[in-house]
Amino acid sequence: MHELGVVMEVAKVVEDFARERGISKVEKLVLQIGELSAMIPAYVQDCWPCAVDGGSLEGTRLEIEVLPGNAVCGACGAVYRLLEHREGCPACAGTERELLSGREFLIKEILAC
Amino acid sequence: MDSFKVIEIKKSVFEGNERRAGELRAELGRRGLFLLNLMSSPGSGKTTTLLRTIEALRGELDLGVLEADIDSDVDARAVHEAGARAIQLHTGGMCHLDAEMTRRGLEALGTEGLDCVILENIGNLICTADFDTGASRSAMILSVPEGDDKPLKYPHMFEVVDLVLVNKIDALPLFDFDLGRFRERLARLNPRARVLPVSAKTGEGMGAWADWLRGEIGSWKLAAGRRGQEGGRL
Repeated sequence: MHELGVVMEVAKVVEDFARERGISKVEKLVLQIGELSAMIPAYVQDCWPCAVDGGSLEGTRLEIEVLPGNAVCGACGAVYRLLEHREGCPACAGTERELLSGREFLIKEILAC
Repeated sequence: MDSFKVIEIKKSVFEGNERRAGELRAELGRRGLFLLNLMSSPGSGKTTTLLRTIEALRGELDLGVLEADIDSDVDARAVHEAGARAIQLHTGGMCHLDAEMTRRGLEALGTEGLDCVILENIGNLICTADFDTGASRSAMILSVPEGDDKPLKYPHMFEVVDLVLVNKIDALPLFDFDLGRFRERLARLNPRARVLPVSAKTGEGMGAWADWLRGEIGSWKLAAGRRGQEGGRL
């Protein structure tokens, strides 16, 4: 369970961002989490109220978008989802591949005024 | 009524740690202090391997050890008795170390006169791979009883390391661990990673491991020396 520390870092980045730009209220925060990252969206969601308790982001809603873990086959170029095809490419069974997405942990945007 | 608008941030959350790790690595580079991030599962034989390593390099290189495993200070004491400077980091139940904790650990250890510090990371193959500690090189220990299919289960760990020590090879006859198959699986994820089969218990292969460390520490110091000279000319 390492989500809390990371979520506190998120809160800090967003607080700094809001302060620098003179934003008075952050209504919603959108995170993007890759499905191959070591962050579990449900845990991140659970940690959020604790991480922002008493700070300027208290009451800010958290929305999480999960990004697929996709790879491109090195042999035939097919793009496939790793979690569904761990053993290799579903088109040609090739095992050479390059990861395209899935490890992200991004602060995408905020809804603010 | 306030009007809300969407403001794009597009910032990686790991960015802060990656920046701090880069700064720490640069600083260690300037000082010529080599930091090895050593990762593994619990029970892979990390402490025994460390003790053998200290023994192999004694009188030649001064080593320090940062023990980060959640365990008590038994490990740090054993390492200290073997002749290396060691401290136990109390990580408060964290499952990985980041660059800031590593920097604080190095300060607490005191690195004056040391050639190399080995960071014994927390016994975990998942998130330790995700957080850059600022180390010069990363290595992991995989022990024979864990199986040759570990790269399939924890691919990210095997992607980030420079070297894998396959430990407990004295137990190979008892398990169906296939070194060839393991090398193939690793090469698919990380073709540049070295593999060294060792037994920390019998000492087999520990010479090759010490040679690897000597080589890496030597080139790290050489690069630091060059940087120092360049700085001197300015």
